[in-house]
Amino acid sequence: MNNKSVYIQDLTRGIIRENPVFKLLLGLCPVLGVTAFFINGLGMGIAATAVLVASNVVISSLKQFIPPQVRIPCFIVVIATFVTIIDMVLEAYQPALHEALGIFVPLIVVNCVILGRAEAFAGKQPVLRSLIDGIGVGLGFTLALGILSFVREVAGHGTLMGPDPESAVHLFGPEFEPMGLFAQPPGAFIALGLLLGIFNVIFKKFNIK
Amino acid sequence: MRDIVRLSMVLALIAVMSAALLTGIHNITEPVIKEREQREYIEALEQFFPELADYESEEIDGDTYDLVYDQDANLMGIMATVTTYGYEGEISYNLAVDDEGEIKGIIVTGHSETPGIGDVITTDEFQEQFIGKGYEDPIQAGEDVDTVSGATESTGSVISSVRRTVITIGENFLDKEGAGLNLPSVDDGVYLGSVEGTRGILTAEVEVLNGIINRIEIVEQHETDAYFVESYPLIPERIIEEQSLNVDTQTGATLSAERIIFAVENALNGAPLEEGSGGDSLDE
Repeated sequence: MNNKSVYIQDLTRGIIRENPVFKLLLGLCPVLGVTAFFINGLGMGIAATAVLVASNVVISSLKQFIPPQVRIPCFIVVIATFVTIIDMVLEAYQPALHEALGIFVPLIVVNCVILGRAEAFAGKQPVLRSLIDGIGVGLGFTLALGILSFVREVAGHGTLMGPDPESAVHLFGPEFEPMGLFAQPPGAFIALGLLLGIFNVIFKKFNIK
Repeated sequence: MRDIVRLSMVLALIAVMSAALLTGIHNITEPVIKEREQREYIEALEQFFPELADYESEEIDGDTYDLVYDQDANLMGIMATVTTYGYEGEISYNLAVDDEGEIKGIIVTGHSETPGIGDVITTDEFQEQFIGKGYEDPIQAGEDVDTVSGATESTGSVISSVRRTVITIGENFLDKEGAGLNLPSVDDGVYLGSVEGTRGILTAEVEVLNGIINRIEIVEQHETDAYFVESYPLIPERIIEEQSLNVDTQTGATLSAERIIFAVENALNGAPLEEGSGGDSLDE
């Protein structure tokens, strides 16, 4: 019973209480960079989650083997390996998403959420807990990217499931004039700021610290 | 000392495992990626040439030109895959001409222009205005094709790039050497000609004396200074020296250089300001 509650805590901590984007403000580069369309935000979140889970598991299983003096280079090599794998797999099987995410896929290597979890959690905790932690933080990151990119796509383009005009769902009919600002880089900052404010109010109300 | 060896060994071991894993995955994904790229390339060609049977690629100045053949090995046309510079960054597009050099269509395949402004270059309305234009047409903003106001730089750079590409195709593959840029035989006089650049009008004043181009001055221009000094006065000097508009446009300032040439061409195609002024006044 006690064991179970530890795992549940590991899972939920990354989603709400220590949400990497809304609470810790970590890894904001892809958060701002690829969230103009919902699909891209979601794809980025899933790619980062995959890397995070894999690197957490590997780093946790290697933690006895890695000397503390060279742990950071070892972590980076492990993370970079999985990022490169994701990059190659996306290019082969999801070319549209790969093109949309562009440079932000290789940049997952330096995403501080992933190195942060390796250093703060996976390097010290057992494999199963690191796996669950990776899933939880990854879900929290994906959730944040999803919400932000949903807001930005709806406000900035008036569509959902873009950018391909064939598959995009136009939410508001042809007369709708989208707020182009939200589709552009400054709009990412504004939307993120608004969301942070809203979430702070919610967190305060439910006393989540 | 022993510690350093151990640390390096661990790091090296992890790096070797990583490399082995990556090599394995690469061997799986590489053929998939290659095959998809090849398929997409042929699909791009088939958009313009549905009866395509074979093609042959050639590279000129970093752009690719595909000569497309039908089943009987007759040249159906040429597709150019071109990259140029717009307002925000690179614009790449495919341009297809038939075997006479007439444009069959252009499709912008990649750009980073401002959403909602510069991205008009991807609209059918903008792209279709090139269809049917050919080697002899001016393909110039304000003459037979239009820029889009608010997006002058994005649309203007595509227009001048299309013209450049059509000329390159004509000269390299369709035996139309210099036809588009021949120096017309003109009477003595002073001529003014303009082209619309991406930043504004560029106007050249050309003096023809005893049947030869004697003097070229750019009287108005809004080019980027760093580029403009690369092509002026070098390009006018070359035109005067060679008495031809078919001069080498050095890289680094190709767009400015070409605008100067087009402006001079426009000047010589127009009516002189003062007929025979130079020559007569010298004689008398």
